[in-house]
Amino acid sequence: MNAIIFSPELWMLAIAGVFLIRAMIPPNAARDYQIALVMATLAVGVCLAALGFSGNLFAGTYRIDLFSQCYKCLLSTGLFLVVCLCNNLRGIRTGLQPEFYLLLAVSTLAMMMLVSSAHLLTIYMALELSSYSLYILVALGRDRDLAIRAGIKYFLVGASASAVMLFGMAMVYGAAGTAYLGELARVLPPLLERPSAAIGLLLILGGFFFKLAVFPFHFWAPVVYAGAANQVAAYIATVSKVAAVAILIRVAAMGSSTYMVHVLAILSIVSMTVGNLAAIAQKDLKRLLAYSSVAHGGYVLIGILSMDAAGYAAATFYALAVLVMKFTCFMVVIKVAGDGGNPAIADLAGLHRRAPLLAMALMMALFGLAGIPPTIGFTGKLLLFTAAMTQGHLALILIAMINVVISLYYYLHVLRAAYLLEPVDNAARVYRETVPIKVMSVVMIAAMVILGIYPQQLIQLINQAVGL
Amino acid sequence: MHLSPTAFPWLTSILFCCLGGLFTILLLPRHRHQEIKWVGALFSGLTLVLTLNLFLLYDQRLGGLQFVERLAWIPSLGITYFNGVDGFSLPMLLLSGIVFFTAVLTMWELEQRVKEFFALLFLLVTGVFGLFMSLDLFFIFVWYDVSLFPMYLLIAIWGSTRKEYGAMKLTLYLLAGSALILPGIVYLVVQSGLQTFDLTALMRPDLFTPFEQKLGFFLFYIGFGILAGVWPFHTWSPVGHVAAPTAVSMVHAGVLMKIGAFGVLRLGIFLCPLGWLYWAPLMALLATVGIVYGVLAGLRQTDIKYVIGYSSVSHMGIVGLGLATVSVEGLNGAVFQMFAHGIMTALFFSAVGYIYDRTHTKALDELGGLSHTMPVASGYLVMAALTGIGVPCLASFWAELTVFIAAFRVYPLYATLAVAALVVSALFMLRVLQRTCYGPPNERLAHLGDVSFGLGLPRMILVAVILLFGLFPALMFELIQTASIPLLNGLPR
Repeated sequence: MNAIIFSPELWMLAIAGVFLIRAMIPPNAARDYQIALVMATLAVGVCLAALGFSGNLFAGTYRIDLFSQCYKCLLSTGLFLVVCLCNNLRGIRTGLQPEFYLLLAVSTLAMMMLVSSAHLLTIYMALELSSYSLYILVALGRDRDLAIRAGIKYFLVGASASAVMLFGMAMVYGAAGTAYLGELARVLPPLLERPSAAIGLLLILGGFFFKLAVFPFHFWAPVVYAGAANQVAAYIATVSKVAAVAILIRVAAMGSSTYMVHVLAILSIVSMTVGNLAAIAQKDLKRLLAYSSVAHGGYVLIGILSMDAAGYAAATFYALAVLVMKFTCFMVVIKVAGDGGNPAIADLAGLHRRAPLLAMALMMALFGLAGIPPTIGFTGKLLLFTAAMTQGHLALILIAMINVVISLYYYLHVLRAAYLLEPVDNAARVYRETVPIKVMSVVMIAAMVILGIYPQQLIQLINQAVGL
Repeated sequence: MHLSPTAFPWLTSILFCCLGGLFTILLLPRHRHQEIKWVGALFSGLTLVLTLNLFLLYDQRLGGLQFVERLAWIPSLGITYFNGVDGFSLPMLLLSGIVFFTAVLTMWELEQRVKEFFALLFLLVTGVFGLFMSLDLFFIFVWYDVSLFPMYLLIAIWGSTRKEYGAMKLTLYLLAGSALILPGIVYLVVQSGLQTFDLTALMRPDLFTPFEQKLGFFLFYIGFGILAGVWPFHTWSPVGHVAAPTAVSMVHAGVLMKIGAFGVLRLGIFLCPLGWLYWAPLMALLATVGIVYGVLAGLRQTDIKYVIGYSSVSHMGIVGLGLATVSVEGLNGAVFQMFAHGIMTALFFSAVGYIYDRTHTKALDELGGLSHTMPVASGYLVMAALTGIGVPCLASFWAELTVFIAAFRVYPLYATLAVAALVVSALFMLRVLQRTCYGPPNERLAHLGDVSFGLGLPRMILVAVILLFGLFPALMFELIQTASIPLLNGLPR
């Protein structure tokens, strides 16, 4: 076995090992944070160094190519960003910090395996590994009742989704006689006329819809976001979505039939509409972000149902865009809720005065989520729409744009709280910008704007990765 | 760069000037109000000089696109950074330069969150300039939204009268417009099969089928029409203008509404001429309803800014009517009207803004007798109102005259209605003047001072521009003709 091409995964395993050992010695939260930060930084470096690798492992069930390596870079970047915000882990029960980093590393490892999977069983294993880490992470939250309730709900929805997926895999295997994705892509399309194969494929996709929080598997999102520690919610909203998009692309590529496109189009429309309408009513910032995630799952599906390389490239770009924008929102959530609780939208009051740069980053992220140029969110939507239009889905695009306008309403409400409301003097909410946060705000603003108006290199890389 | 190395990138330098102002303001400490305002005045003055320079340098005998700058931006998607001006966009650039500079000067007395205000204003204006000069659909859309999104904060923070409602309504309406424009752009780009967002490449005749042109034009007409205040999508406009602070009202009514009309012209008419011919009767109908409705609604208002808001709806209807005639005169008149109305509303809002800052009321009933206490300030208001009525020798007169001449040939009924409405509009403008400026001296307002020379400067500039183009309309008409005649000659008939 060629171990060097497996290095990102091995490095993640090493992080997990380090924190497994640290979990057994007397706790020291500050030291945990420093170690995690250094190792996560190195993880980004390792993934970047491994960008050019390619090859097959484990009897062809594991494929390493530019596509998977790009996604691994995204995953490790996401992990790094989330770890950056962990200097104040008040949302996690005390003494459990090493376990938190351990599970974070294991979950990222599992997602890296997921994006490289080339066999139905590897997919299933990787998906379960990442899900189980997340179930526990959610339940580690400070508010024991709320966290455990969220964890149980997450687990129940997740377990049923994975049962459904396993059933679908059995059906597809039964119809096609193989479980290798490469062969399935060749054998399956003609078989999709048969209900067993089509339904089987849909059920498999259901498992990924759960990860992406797409209708009808979105019910867990608001509860879990609200119940989990802010850092965990940030991780679920960013990193785990990226992994879900990657595997959706790999699997959906097998089912390019009109029937499948229609089903995906309906799910996409329902998902964005339900997500956006439900988000309007939210008072809690994290629940609002949860519903907006549901809507963004719907947008990503537009790229996937285009069923061509341009669509997959658009979905990949959009996954990156969501990662950056959602992370910026959660950065604000974490900083505003200094005590690790759940901030309401009204708690943002006076942010523009207390932390002007953070407020500006929030503004850019919100406009990005609403798809307004010159942000990365707009460029992502443009790519998605162009891909869908090439396939002739004009109606879908119009519906998506109507949804964008709806979503703007609640994003503006958040913005209004940050820029218009004056702070109620409350000692617990006083927050001052520190230098690291200033730096991160500037970096995120720059990333959103520069990738939004000058994405040439990024688009080229992604096009190569999806084989355009 | 696709231009000779000696050619100076004038257009990009305008954008850099705006961005330079933006970043300089962002770097200044927030309590240095005076410095921020001077920086604002300096950079906006510089943009005005640059646009004036373009106006003078443009070669009218040559016509066509000039000052072209082209730079491959995202080759894989066919996006180029492509700027250029022609007889349609040059008046708009000049208008933006004038209104921007005078708007900055008008806000000289602002004390609340000065740094953020000027930063957002500069961002907005960057989008405006970018849109007028850009010839790439991607950039046109980007600039369009850049000029819209600072609007919410500008109105909601510094506005008055139901400001949050007005800001939210305006933003949602305008973004709903972009919800039609973006699909329209994507649709045409994909249908062309050319893999390019370059406007000039997509203007090739017979590139789009008649159906595609009809659909495309409809999307652009409604999408940009919302911004241009086309009836029945105008309702954001009076509410938003009333709520906005003075400079934002000036830029918004003066320039942003023109973006809407300009977008219909640049995207709708340039790309989908057959769609234009097909939908022209609808445009004429909606425009006429807008003209009449704006006047009638304006008659009943008790707030000066509402009066101006509704008169904008009516005046933008004249632009729409001009475009709907599908004739050289109509286009000339429409573009001239865009320019003249922009200057006129800027003067109007600027004059009202000064009075409001002193008296803290915009209600017609509470004002009155202002000409006794503030003769100069009311003089500016009178001047704006006269321009709005369309008194000869002022810029609007020529624009409206040309549009009506063109309209009488094509739509005699609509033209009659529009002229009749204009007479009524004289009534309501004079009513406003009578209620505010004349009448017995108002005791409550007697202590207020008149406009000083410095504060009056922006209004003087606007009055001068109105007089200049009112006395020498050929300056503008000859420029616009360099674009409108070739466009009409290229039409498929």
